[in-house]
Amino acid sequence: MIEVLNLSHSFQIGKKGKEKNIPVLNDIDFTVKKGEIVSIVGKSGSGKSTFLHILAGFIVPQKGHILIRETETSAFNEVESAAFRLENFGFIFQNFQLMPGLNAFENIELPLKLKGIEKTERRRKVSALMQEVGLDHVGDHYPNELSGGQQQRVSIARALITDPPIIFADEPTGSLDSETEQDVLLLIQSLNKLRGITFVMITHDEEVAHVADRMYTMHDGRLVEGSVQHAI
Amino acid sequence: MQFKDQIDFVRQHIKKNRLRVFMTILAATMGTAFLIVLASVGFGLHDTLRGEMLSNRLVTEIQVHGSDEAEEPEKQVDKFKAMENVKAVLDQQKLGTYPKIMLGDFEGYFEFVVSDFKEEAKVGFELNKGRLPENDSEVVVGSHFATYLQNTTEVKEGEEMPTYEGDLIGQTITFEIENNEGDLAEEKLEFTVVGIGKEPTREWVMDGRVFADASIIPKIEELYQTSEEEQFSLFYHSIMVYADKLENVSQIAKAIEEDGFYTYSVASELEQLDVFFLALKAGLIFVGTIAILIASIGIFNTMTMAVTERTREIGVMKAIGANPKLIQRLFIMESAWIGIIGTIIAIIISYGVSIIANYLLPIIVTSALGGEDSSELNIVFSVIPWQLIVIASCISIGVAVISGWRPARKATNIDVIQALRQEL
Repeated sequence: MIEVLNLSHSFQIGKKGKEKNIPVLNDIDFTVKKGEIVSIVGKSGSGKSTFLHILAGFIVPQKGHILIRETETSAFNEVESAAFRLENFGFIFQNFQLMPGLNAFENIELPLKLKGIEKTERRRKVSALMQEVGLDHVGDHYPNELSGGQQQRVSIARALITDPPIIFADEPTGSLDSETEQDVLLLIQSLNKLRGITFVMITHDEEVAHVADRMYTMHDGRLVEGSVQHAI
Repeated sequence: MQFKDQIDFVRQHIKKNRLRVFMTILAATMGTAFLIVLASVGFGLHDTLRGEMLSNRLVTEIQVHGSDEAEEPEKQVDKFKAMENVKAVLDQQKLGTYPKIMLGDFEGYFEFVVSDFKEEAKVGFELNKGRLPENDSEVVVGSHFATYLQNTTEVKEGEEMPTYEGDLIGQTITFEIENNEGDLAEEKLEFTVVGIGKEPTREWVMDGRVFADASIIPKIEELYQTSEEEQFSLFYHSIMVYADKLENVSQIAKAIEEDGFYTYSVASELEQLDVFFLALKAGLIFVGTIAILIASIGIFNTMTMAVTERTREIGVMKAIGANPKLIQRLFIMESAWIGIIGTIIAIIISYGVSIIANYLLPIIVTSALGGEDSSELNIVFSVIPWQLIVIASCISIGVAVISGWRPARKATNIDVIQALRQEL
């Protein structure tokens, strides 16, 4: 599903003419099979978020290859990358990243609008999914009227609505209390089992990382595959 | 994204910032209304002057005058008639002296004009009553002919001379002329009045002329000439060539000028007037555009603030797969919407201002000049033709779109990662 080969990336900081090169990712190889949950753990500043951003196409890597669903994505331009994301990826963010001006229903509907799906079809799909993830009673609530757990469920529903084969989750439980965290992780696991969606999850919490089938550890820009214990 | 969803998206954002967008629309409205009203004065004055010129003279008429190179255009009448797109050629000849005309006890001295009435019929000699002359003993008189026919025999001291008030059609008038020795010719001519000309458009113009057929010329010359030696023409020619359409006037005038004649036509005067007013209107539109440009600063400001406020939202949209071109289009649509609404309101206001100006200004001007009846002031101050609406709309909406262009570009260049890191 995802294959990364010899990926390296560095950031340039400082004023023009006095730039400093800071290596962030160093010769990374990474593989994810279809239907897997893969987690990447690491401390802050280890480069795990940058790695996820490169996989998602937000950053163009300086070196290496990325093959996602047999498509080389590392050389995509901005427009190609956006189109590929819309078709293939869903995103779950730590701070949910919901549109404050749209209610829960409209937030979940947004990717379908971007895809140009007809209104009646959108309504049908969103209603069905909201019921599936337990949000059917909060459709007309705005993000500031929802609890953290509900907001993350809306965010997960928005990631799922286009039936993407891959979902990237960036610290999906980072803003949640421990009880809600368990709920969300269970939801991710069940979606993976029922729908066969591939999850790539980034977290600094090893406990959370253990819901994955496989775990990688990021340390100083190097990615090492670690063992997995099914804690949940 | 479907177009109706894009409209929906834009509408939602506008609704969220109602007051700010309203103020921006207000600025755009004021700028556009200023442009339309300002330019409408140019259009109004142009229409008034054009109407004034066209109502008084035949627009297809070309007056032909001799020059050093080509004298006596009356000898070229047949050549002019043969020219392409020429409808008629008139050789109107005025008698060099004013003959005495009598009808019963009434008499007066009148301008006497002879013409070819077959040609006059082609260009529509306008009659109020009766018909055109068909032979040399019939005449048509001007609309004020009767008021110049006065009874001098019955006049009492301190009283005005009575004028003829009866019906003129069918009446026989007597024509008397001084000969070349200054004495009244012994022989008199008699004519039957068969028609009365139409009143001139301008109220103050009095038409007391007598029109007869050109075939009468030899008889009049015979009355005038007492000896064989002094042979010179008693009539002054004025040659007028009529084009079939207004568009052909300049082409015919040019062809006549190539033969060495001088020409004059209302069309050529209109051309100069049109050029002047075109420049005036362009100038007024330019001044009006400056007002719109000032309003565009507001649009730019509003759109820049909208982009800054929505940076995180734009980042989320880009992250989940929105095409950067779509984001740019949404912002341009928003600024275009401001321009469109501003223009629509401005058009409505401008028509209102124009109607009020056309109603009130004549009253104000008349009372300032000490008059009473404002309807006498035949000036239209403001006219808004559809062309002005199109020009103003294009400028206003165009400027609005250009104002939104840079903020929209800024929106597409927002870095997704930076945007997602922004606090709520």
